[in-house]
Amino acid sequence: MSQHHPDSLTLMEYSAGNLSEPLALCVRLHLDQCPYCRSRVDMLDSLGAVLMEHQPRVSLPEGSFEAILARLDQTPPASAPPPRPAPLQALLGRDLNQLPWKRQFGDISVLDITDRFPDQPDRVVLQKLAAGGKAPAHTHRGNETTLVLQGAFADQNGVFRQWDFVALDQHHEHTPVAVGCEDCITLSVLSAPVRLTGRFTRLLNPFIR
Amino acid sequence: MMDKTRSAPARVKERLVTTTDQNPTRTDSPRDPWGQLLENVGRHQDRAAYQALFEHFGPQIKYYAMANGLASHADELVQEVFVSIWRRSCLYDWRKAAASTWIFTIARNQRIDMLRKMRRTRVERSVATDDLWQIPGEYEDEPVTSLHRLMSEKRVRQSLSQLPEEQLTVIAKVYMENKSHQAVADELEIPLGTVKSRVRLALNKLKVILQDQDS
Repeated sequence: MSQHHPDSLTLMEYSAGNLSEPLALCVRLHLDQCPYCRSRVDMLDSLGAVLMEHQPRVSLPEGSFEAILARLDQTPPASAPPPRPAPLQALLGRDLNQLPWKRQFGDISVLDITDRFPDQPDRVVLQKLAAGGKAPAHTHRGNETTLVLQGAFADQNGVFRQWDFVALDQHHEHTPVAVGCEDCITLSVLSAPVRLTGRFTRLLNPFIR
Repeated sequence: MMDKTRSAPARVKERLVTTTDQNPTRTDSPRDPWGQLLENVGRHQDRAAYQALFEHFGPQIKYYAMANGLASHADELVQEVFVSIWRRSCLYDWRKAAASTWIFTIARNQRIDMLRKMRRTRVERSVATDDLWQIPGEYEDEPVTSLHRLMSEKRVRQSLSQLPEEQLTVIAKVYMENKSHQAVADELEIPLGTVKSRVRLALNKLKVILQDQDS
């Protein structure tokens, strides 16, 4: 089971349906692999149900139920929905390692998928750190939420393995290193560009949007 | 939900005083009455059960839609939610979620879906709403769920009334008006940190927080 989980406030915003689509995707991918967080979300969903019950009720217009019944008669009877591809497969359509990666510098490749999430301000990127590779030291100007999709990376804060959920803000400086024998692939949602802090890599800052 | 009393009408007449003991609607059972109705819809396309669910949950969902800025689409949302309940009821398993919890998540997803469709730009949506927001129990192959999942709703219901007003206000705005913690802070003109600490206090009291790594 995953060792790094979203905090309760993030799960609450997920349960309430307030997270942006890319952040909801990170949480959902984590939930699919983490029974611990699923049980936390179950409780939060129950909280939503009880709060809904405590609100005023608004009566429905005459004939509402009949209108629904009429729609049911036009639709096939209840049956199991067709199996859907996993969310990630639905989004990317193929194997993670076969994506059109763009080599950024050194051991890092990126694939910007922001355009798959219209109507929201954050940048959404897949990042690949080659096995054994090291990313330049950097901090963040905003929040960065990362989900490990493959492999593992280690930094000053610990080791992050597949399906671990990592939330960083401008106070975290880190130098991730891919550990293990696989390339480390992450899905990151960035609310502002990262800022390189290394002595030489700082010069690259304008290039890392 | 009256199955037992219907199947033994004579005995019920004789023992009217004690029937509550056998009544399947009793609230201390993890199998809540709404869950039973929902299963009847799923298994037998039971329209009477479906109507009972509609009369109970329809007005709640309408308020939910109105509080969420969907006032002019509130009746439409109720309709979408109930069509979805009908279609999915065969997937409902009372051991995995209380009926009201399951219905809340369907209402939430239909609201998100409706807003996504309204905002829809030229770009196709690449991930379906239900792939982003999970309906409890639907796509899990877990064996029969632990009791705490079933009892969580009961516990939340019992402890919600003991929450201080200021904490209740904050979590109600997050859930019912779909405001982010930041938006709640802006509206109440209090710092974001205060909103977050009220939420944490509330979740602690509701025992929703099992363990937070960073708090």
